[in-house]
Amino acid sequence: MPFDTPAAVVRHESLNRDHFLLTLESPSIARAARAGQFVMLQTRDGTDPLLRRPMSIFRVLPGRSGRFQILYKVVGRGTRYLAGQPVGARLATLGPLGNGFRLPPAGTRPVLVSGGIGIAIFPFLVETLAKTRRRAPVLVYGARTKGDLAALGFFRAQRVPVRLATEDGSVGVRGFVTRLLEPLLAAPEEAAQLELFVCGPTPMLQAVAALAARAGAPCQLALESQMPCGIGVCLGCVVRCPGDDQGPMFRRVCTEGPVFRATEVLL
Amino acid sequence: MKRSRGGATDLSVQLGPLRLKNPIVAASGTFGYGTEFLPYLKLADLGGFVTKGLSLLPRRGNAPPRTCETPSGMLNAIGLANVGVEAFLDEKLPALRGCGTAVIANVFGETREEYVAVARRLNGAPDLHAIELNLSCPNTEKGGIAFGVSPPVIREVVAAVRRAAPGLPLIVKLTPNITDIAVAGRAARDGGADMLSLVNTFLGMAVDLRARRPVLDNVVGGLSGPAIKPLALYMVQRVYREVGLPIMGMGGISGAEDALEFMVAGSAAVQVGTANFFDPTASVRMVRDIDAWCRREGIRAVRELTGTLQFPHGAPPAPCAG
Repeated sequence: MPFDTPAAVVRHESLNRDHFLLTLESPSIARAARAGQFVMLQTRDGTDPLLRRPMSIFRVLPGRSGRFQILYKVVGRGTRYLAGQPVGARLATLGPLGNGFRLPPAGTRPVLVSGGIGIAIFPFLVETLAKTRRRAPVLVYGARTKGDLAALGFFRAQRVPVRLATEDGSVGVRGFVTRLLEPLLAAPEEAAQLELFVCGPTPMLQAVAALAARAGAPCQLALESQMPCGIGVCLGCVVRCPGDDQGPMFRRVCTEGPVFRATEVLL
Repeated sequence: MKRSRGGATDLSVQLGPLRLKNPIVAASGTFGYGTEFLPYLKLADLGGFVTKGLSLLPRRGNAPPRTCETPSGMLNAIGLANVGVEAFLDEKLPALRGCGTAVIANVFGETREEYVAVARRLNGAPDLHAIELNLSCPNTEKGGIAFGVSPPVIREVVAAVRRAAPGLPLIVKLTPNITDIAVAGRAARDGGADMLSLVNTFLGMAVDLRARRPVLDNVVGGLSGPAIKPLALYMVQRVYREVGLPIMGMGGISGAEDALEFMVAGSAAVQVGTANFFDPTASVRMVRDIDAWCRREGIRAVRELTGTLQFPHGAPPAPCAG
C-alpha cells in the first residue's frame, strides 16, 4: 500500500561533485518499503519542474526512526533543484511503489551488477538478503571514472566483496562490468548457482542480460524510465516486451516493474 | 471548524442531462479506470471521472519513449492504449459499482463505425453516467487526419453516436488543434451533443539536441499541464459565448483557483488531468478548496460563477485578431 505524504528532509549530504544522499522521514513509507521499490519525489514547489521524480529507495534506516534514504546524482533540472533542498524542507513523496526484487533461493549466490547511479538500489537489497539469511552477495560495479563511484563505504562496512570497473581505468579494471562478469559466469556449474541483480544504463543491461542468458543464470533487471505518475495510470513509462504476431507488448515500469526478469523485456 | 455563514456551499452542477455533486471531474487518460486512485482518495468526493479512452478492441499503444516533460507541462504520445470496451464492461465497470461518483466512459474509434460500435456497447451499461467522445483520434478512412478538425465529420460522428447511445448523456471533447474551436463546437452541437469538454492536448514536439532526434518515438505528442492553461481559458470563453452548450473546461488546472477561473470563463464543470500525475490527491483537494473559497466570498452555489466573466471593453476578439 503506497502513501502520499510530505516527507521531511532530515539530512542531506553531498558525497562528491554530483552525488547526494538524502534522508527523509516518513514512517508509513519506511515501514512498507521493500528492496527494489521506489518513491515519486517532488523536487521543488511550483509547476516547473512539473513532475515528481522516481527514485530508488537506497536504505531504510534501522530502528523505529521512520527514515529512509535516497542516493541520487544530479543529471538535470529536477535533481539540481532537489540538491538545493535544505534540512527541514518537506517534499511530497509517494511510495513505496512498484514490485521490488524477488529474493533468490537460499542456496543461490546473489551477484549485484551496478552501472553508475544504478548503485542506489542495492544497499536495501544487501540488508534484506542478510536479514532473510540468504547467501552473501558480491557486487560488480562499473562507472565512467573513479569519481562516479558512490556508496562504496556502505558495501565495505557490510563486508560485501566489491569488484570495480571504470571506463578510464582510474580504479579497478579498465572497461565495462561485463569484463568482470565473464569470468564469473564462465564455469557453467557455478553460473547455475548464481542469480544476477542488475541496475544501470540500458546498454549495460542489454550486455549483462545477454551474458546471463548465455550462461543460463537467472537475471533480474531494475529499469529506469521517464515516469510521469508512478501509479500506472499515465502509461508513459512502458518497456517493450516479447509479444505475438501483432507486434511487441508493453508493460508499465512503475507497476509491473521496475524489476523484471531479463527474459520478460526487450531492451 | 466554525463556518462564517450558515450551511455548506452548494457545489452541485447541472450540465444538460448530467447532474454532478461538484464541478471537479478527473480527465480521461489521467485517472486510469478509477480504481487506481483508491489508495489515495474517495471516488465519492469527486464530481465524476472519465475513463481511459475505450476502443472496440484492446490497443497496446505506441512504442516508448511516450512522454517528455516540458516547461510547466508534458508531452504524451501514448497511442490510445486501452483494455477495449468488452474488458471495460466485464472487469473495470463492475469494480466501480457504488463508487458514489459519476462514471464517464471516454470513447474513440478509427472509423465512424468504431465510434458507433463502442457507444452502442456502452448504451444501457449499469452505473455508467455519460460518454465522452474523443474526436482527436486519426480517421483512418480520411488519411489519418483527426475527426475533430473537420466540422462536417464532427457533426456526422456525433449524430451517429447520439443514435447509437440514446440513453446516455453525450459529451463531445474538442481538439484545440483547429483554427477556430467555436466552429467545431457548433458542429458538435448540431450533431446532437449534450455538452462539450475542452480542450484536449495541443500538438507539440520535443527535440533531443545531442542526438538530433525527436524525444518521442511517435515524434508528435499532445502538450498538457499548466503551460496550456491560458490557451485553454481563451478557448473556453470563446466556445461559451459562441456555442451555447454546457462546458467542462480543462487545460492545466492544478488548483481550486484555476478551476474557478475556468468556471468564470464559462465552464459549468472542469476536468483535472495532468495534475493527477504529479499530485494524486489534487482533484479532491480542489473540491475542498472550492468550497472554502465560496464560503469566503459569500457564494452559496458554485454554479452561479459559470460565465460571470466581465468584458469591460466589449466583446473579446475572434481568434484571427492580434
